[in-house]
Amino acid sequence: MNRRRFIQTTALGLTAFTVPPLVPGCTTAGGSDSGTLSTGQNWSNVPGNLLGPNAKAGHWLRQTLAPATAVEPDIYDVVIVGGGISGLSARRWLWQKGVRNTLMLELETQPGGNSGSGKNDVSAFPWGAHYLPVPDARHAELIDFLRETGTITGCTANGTPIYNDYHLCHDPEERLFLDGRWQDGLIPNEGIPDADHQQITRFLALIETLKKAKGADGRDAFAIPLDRSSTDPAYRLLDTITMTEWLDQQGFTSTYLRWYVAYSCKDDYGTTPNQTSAWAGLHYFASRKGVGVDANGATLTSAVLTWPEGNGFLMNQLRQQADSPIRSQTIAYAIDLADPSAVRVSVNNVPTGKQTVIRARKVLLAVPQFVANRLLTTADPTRTATGFHYAPWVVVNLTVNALPQTAGKTLCWDNVLYGTESVGYVSANHQHLTDSPQRVLTIYRPLTGNDPAEVRRRAYHTTREEWLHQTMTELETAHPGLSAHIQQADVWVWGHGMISPTPGFIWGEARQKARQPVQARVYFAHSDLSGISIFEEAFSQGIRAVNAMLTGGGIAT
Amino acid sequence: MVDQPLRSESERGRAVAGNEAARQWLLLLSVFVIATCGLIYELIAGTLASYLLGDSVTQFSTIIGTYLFAMGVGSWLSNKLDGNLLRWFVRIEILVGLVGGFSAPLLFVLFEYVVSFRLVLYTLVSMTGVLVGLEIPLLMRILEHRVAFRDLVSRVFTFDYIGALLASLIFPLVLVPMLGLVRTSLLFGLLNVGVAVWLLLRFPETRPFRTGLLTAAGMAAMLLLAGFVGAERIMSFAEAATYQSSVIYSKSTPYQRIVLTRNARDLRLFLNGNLQFSSADEYRYHEALVHPAMQANPTARRVLVLGGGDGLAVRELLRYPQIDSIQLVDLDPGMTRLFQENTLLTSLNKRSLLSPKVQVINDDAYGWVRSDTAHYDVVIVDFPDPSNYSIGKLYSTAFYRELARRLAPGGVVVVQSTSPFLARRSFWCVVHTMQAEGFQTLPYHAYVPSFGEWGFVLASLTDTPRPRTRNVPAGLRFIDANSLRRLRDFPPDMADIPTELNKLNNQALVQYFEEDWADAGQ
Repeated sequence: MNRRRFIQTTALGLTAFTVPPLVPGCTTAGGSDSGTLSTGQNWSNVPGNLLGPNAKAGHWLRQTLAPATAVEPDIYDVVIVGGGISGLSARRWLWQKGVRNTLMLELETQPGGNSGSGKNDVSAFPWGAHYLPVPDARHAELIDFLRETGTITGCTANGTPIYNDYHLCHDPEERLFLDGRWQDGLIPNEGIPDADHQQITRFLALIETLKKAKGADGRDAFAIPLDRSSTDPAYRLLDTITMTEWLDQQGFTSTYLRWYVAYSCKDDYGTTPNQTSAWAGLHYFASRKGVGVDANGATLTSAVLTWPEGNGFLMNQLRQQADSPIRSQTIAYAIDLADPSAVRVSVNNVPTGKQTVIRARKVLLAVPQFVANRLLTTADPTRTATGFHYAPWVVVNLTVNALPQTAGKTLCWDNVLYGTESVGYVSANHQHLTDSPQRVLTIYRPLTGNDPAEVRRRAYHTTREEWLHQTMTELETAHPGLSAHIQQADVWVWGHGMISPTPGFIWGEARQKARQPVQARVYFAHSDLSGISIFEEAFSQGIRAVNAMLTGGGIAT
Repeated sequence: MVDQPLRSESERGRAVAGNEAARQWLLLLSVFVIATCGLIYELIAGTLASYLLGDSVTQFSTIIGTYLFAMGVGSWLSNKLDGNLLRWFVRIEILVGLVGGFSAPLLFVLFEYVVSFRLVLYTLVSMTGVLVGLEIPLLMRILEHRVAFRDLVSRVFTFDYIGALLASLIFPLVLVPMLGLVRTSLLFGLLNVGVAVWLLLRFPETRPFRTGLLTAAGMAAMLLLAGFVGAERIMSFAEAATYQSSVIYSKSTPYQRIVLTRNARDLRLFLNGNLQFSSADEYRYHEALVHPAMQANPTARRVLVLGGGDGLAVRELLRYPQIDSIQLVDLDPGMTRLFQENTLLTSLNKRSLLSPKVQVINDDAYGWVRSDTAHYDVVIVDFPDPSNYSIGKLYSTAFYRELARRLAPGGVVVVQSTSPFLARRSFWCVVHTMQAEGFQTLPYHAYVPSFGEWGFVLASLTDTPRPRTRNVPAGLRFIDANSLRRLRDFPPDMADIPTELNKLNNQALVQYFEEDWADAGQ
């Protein structure tokens, strides 16, 4: 079925570039009127923190910055700026290709970007991306990677990957809270009118057709990585209209179906159907062609891979598959191409406040485009980030000592409440092999609105207590009394959570232009260059950029 | 006959001499009523104590003794009461009505909720006894100036003993069968209060305190009446809290609620309200669980037990002296500690968990098996039934894959696998799931009266296990040379049926189990 996706690539925490006057992390908790729920809960008494990308670094970047003068002695073959999935994927790929004299620069104390995770006594838990659908068997690089992680344990006689039972999402997977009752699956089913059922059935049949559809060029209409999709205008023209327009054209009027499609757009892209390209909206449903069997040889249909720490698992595996150095708490703030012998990267060491110049033959910018352009202000002033919009997200991790239930389907991995602002929560304990009354619930909330910049600005001014108030007002409808069972409540605000596939963006020019290397010395890798923010895309972008770099010459492999 | 007129201001009282005689008879009639009530309370307390605590001889004997002694205390105390004796008598009647009347409902309800039920029981019996003991001496003092002493003693005691006879006859023959203990108790409470009201109305000399005491009596009567009407509710409330036997231990650990109950027949263990064993027939279950596996690998030295924190499977294992070590992995330290320390339970498991051969490990079995590196000749898997998704993981292909790695060459494993009769698909799902992981299986079943027909899967990785039929240890009550063959036979209503495999990503068994038991429940 259709799964939640979340950002897998790093936003590097450089949200502060666009966020005067207040940067995330500067806000102080407490003191808000709405910190008190009607149940009498005073959220400032609940332990926890308001978290977000590095605030100190944000402050530092707001001053006028001159290039550093102290030059470090080493010259690297490649410097990778940004330690999210695309950067880590590039680092691994370079290592595998024999390019080992590389250095990764990461702003935070740990790499990982939006695949970051946390851990407490109860469970590990994700701070962002938390699953990977069983991939298309034709996505060879990803299949190889999953074999290295132990997620794929072997192959059947006819070459079908065999998946590890512990990495496949355990049963029961998903449920929907509708009309006071939890029902099985995420598509509204129980107690809805026949007319809606018929539209949902027609929609799902159409999706099945699109899954199998091929363009005139013989390629899949919808593929992952999406650059492998057909160029046939019959499909690509879908990028010029919104998902809402497509629904209207197809005569899909059912409130329940339209809720489900809206939920999917929000879940995958952080955008509403009005803001989402119909091509992207359909890609969510029609691109999942995972093929595999479980350890007992049963064919997997629409299965997903997940871990208590979410994609933190994949991130750590990517990281461990290379030994080249990672320098954390380091901000790259300027790139100078004047010296023909080496690219000069000015960096600031956050703890010491010292600026140095790092030299490299090539630089890979595994950062979102608004950050890349900032770094290249002098070297390539023509670059723009027109068309690149990012959806802000809020992720809440609640540690609870009990979960009051309502009627219907029992607790699942993915739990969605019909008609709410959030896109539901996952139970981080789900893949544990032992049950416990204590759990960590990870709640995802995209911040949609007509003006993402305004929404972002408001988000940075919102206190933890206000986020908790909003979150719990929704959750209490399905779990009455849950507020009293919260032991810890941490909130993370992602200012630039994921790239938004707005109409025209996927198959427009901006994406293609932004990935062109500068003087065959500076290369780009980030999921925003794909237009959708999923692990597979970020992983592929890292590999694509490295391949381009190696083809461009200048580095001995 | 009349020595002295009543000291009444009422001139009308003095006017009619016949009235005085009528009043004396009325007072004597109240002796009859209170005597009946008194004995009824005593009988209720004795019956209730026997019912709730068992051992009726002891209960009746101690209750009667306590009650009579308390009556003696009451008689002695009557000496201390001065002033208006009629007023005292009316007060005491109201109090007896309340205390005696509510004794049965109180005892029923409190039984589940108080630490020392006996303390409550004997306190209530003593209070009733003291109050009833006050009645007769007080009444005799009221009558002493109106009736000649020899007549007084003769009449009062005659009515007293007739009342007692009536009580002892109607209590078992009419009251308990028709009204039950609670309603009987409340009804006689009402009679006591009725006597008080009637005296207040009939005797003009009660006029100065009539209003106050009438109000009190009215309120007492209303309470008793309400109790009488709501008796069904009181009983169902009290019995819902009771496991039909007495709870002798209950504790909530972080993992489960452990309850031990006992009645005349057996001792029972409940975990989260589910029966785990009855001491009357647990030997059938544990002999069937352990001995086929041990007979299939008779030279076993190293044994692993998963679950089974009651030590009863270990008790059976310790019959084999060749076993060197038994590792027992049970999640709940509260459970294993209970079965190591409680003398009632250690006498049941023969102190098995204290044996030097046994190592108790309080850990999650799945995680422990995954990280363990040792190999075992016999593995006994005694998990709870797969009634939820987290327990279902312990019956999955993934778990049996881990288990297979823990078996020594020639090692065997046995899995308790629910009822093949009541949950037929669940049972065969376990069999098929184990087979899918390369186990050669030998399914079998045993009849355990408190559970019904119960199933087990004996399995090995090399060959289908073949339990020996000779040389079973001495002293077994259920398993013998012939029983093993018998247990392997599955009649058509329990025979193999196709099922899915139980896997982490489908949890088929939990679905089967839920549906099977729902069907069995109908």
